[in-house]
Amino acid sequence: MSFIRSFQSEWLKRRRSLASWLIVVGALFMPAMTLLRLLNDREKLPELYAQENFWSVIWGQNWQSMNLMLLPIGIILAVGLVTQIEYKNNGWKQLHTTPQGLTTIFFAKFAVIFVMALQVFLLFNLGMYIVGVIPSLLFVSVPYPAGEIPFGLFFEKNVHYFVNILPILSLQYLLSLQFKNFLVPLGAGFAIWLAGAISLSWKYSYLFPYLHGGIDFIVGGGQLDLVLPMNIQLLSLIYFAAFTVAGYALYMFKKERG
Amino acid sequence: MRSIETQGLTHRYSSTETVLNGIDLQVEEGRIYGFLGPNGAGKTTTLRLILGLLKKQAGEINIFGKRLESDRIEILREIGSLIESPSIYGHLTAAENLRVFQTVYQSPASRTNEVLELVGLGETGKKKAGHFSLGMKQRLSIATALLHKPRLLILDEPTNGLDPEGILEMRDLLKRLKQEDGITILISSHLLSEIEKLVDDVGIIHKGRILFQGTLSELQNRQRASSLVAFRTSDNAKAAAAFAERQVNIVSQNGRIATSGLDEEAVALLNKELVMSGVDVYAIERIEDDLERIFLDVIKS
Repeated sequence: MSFIRSFQSEWLKRRRSLASWLIVVGALFMPAMTLLRLLNDREKLPELYAQENFWSVIWGQNWQSMNLMLLPIGIILAVGLVTQIEYKNNGWKQLHTTPQGLTTIFFAKFAVIFVMALQVFLLFNLGMYIVGVIPSLLFVSVPYPAGEIPFGLFFEKNVHYFVNILPILSLQYLLSLQFKNFLVPLGAGFAIWLAGAISLSWKYSYLFPYLHGGIDFIVGGGQLDLVLPMNIQLLSLIYFAAFTVAGYALYMFKKERG
Repeated sequence: MRSIETQGLTHRYSSTETVLNGIDLQVEEGRIYGFLGPNGAGKTTTLRLILGLLKKQAGEINIFGKRLESDRIEILREIGSLIESPSIYGHLTAAENLRVFQTVYQSPASRTNEVLELVGLGETGKKKAGHFSLGMKQRLSIATALLHKPRLLILDEPTNGLDPEGILEMRDLLKRLKQEDGITILISSHLLSEIEKLVDDVGIIHKGRILFQGTLSELQNRQRASSLVAFRTSDNAKAAAAFAERQVNIVSQNGRIATSGLDEEAVALLNKELVMSGVDVYAIERIEDDLERIFLDVIKS
């Protein structure tokens, strides 16, 4: 019960915050770009919409940029902004004088970040669907997409991509709890992501935890010939567990709490 | 019963910097305790240790008779606090700020409006707290601290940023909380004058050590003992000789004869002596140091 109350309290804090706006903007950015591109290529739309694999094409175009760049960067920013709510408003000291266990506080805030990430996935998927449908509503010559949405496959891929971002969530959370200066976790996050992006074709690129989504996408799509020593989701979960345990331990042993 | 009792509380930020050195704080239940000291004396560090915001290094902290280390959550359930600058979520309204804590404390929803009215923020509506003045933020912090009807209120320099009217309002509010709800209040300040009309007990800390701890009247007695009594007479030289005969040390002051450490009976006796020895006494005046002076003297000593 105390965890639920703590979660509710944390959830209230994100209301109207920069982090909550970033979730919406970040999730709808790629679908909005796709819509612009579709409207720009209006004359090709009837042919595209008649294709059986229409949804897979839209899905692939959106997820590529999302997995490789937007999702990791968005998470780096969003996690930092969530913890900055406390730093910026001198909130840590008040939070730590409430009658809650430190474990509850740590995981309630982490759970909020989790749910916000889920929101991104939901909004992003919904955005892709709406963007796919809009041209057929705007132009008589464009039919409703002919192909069926492969729900099962998309759901499975969503789960995979969500697991792939867990190391970013946990390591950014660890860093954001340790450093008051927003630029430290932000800089470290960008550095790790950039190192991964530069070494994407290297045989050990999977060791960089911030590119697991990207690797999963492009290896799965046959765009990169990379032999992974293990299932990339399993590796993501191992990183996630390690970073979460380390973050929790560092938080619990902090000498000063706000 | 004591609400707060610390024993030998010692804290170091580094091996060379001892911030607190054997602090024995005793705050009696139902009283207002003024924790005084200049900036950097160790007040905030002490309060942060009491609230568990700093990891304790040495000493004991007992609150409501329980050890902070073993009963932290139970103890914090009955404490309201404001440490240094206000903790206010600027993107939320005053009511939303309180709701954040109301959820955790499980206080009734009606309490939110109650405390907002109590601190004079009932009309802030949809205005975001980030747009509040410092005084309003301070009052919202007090509202947060009072939300769950605590038994003990710990306030670190709560009048910072308040205008004189705000300080008076805050003083009245705290007095009312003590009288009507029996709340124990530990309030820190670097100005005695700011809290002398409010507190029952005083603790003076300087360079990490408690230099004085007792009731305000005990501090006031110190003030009386160090006050000067000045005599304006027709013949100061003769008066001085009479004082010397009675082994009373004198300090000449602006053409008057002044001495210290005399109670009212001794003053009357000296007056009688002077008159009997043919010296006319035109005026007797007690020159008291204000409490602020005593506070500074304690620190300097």
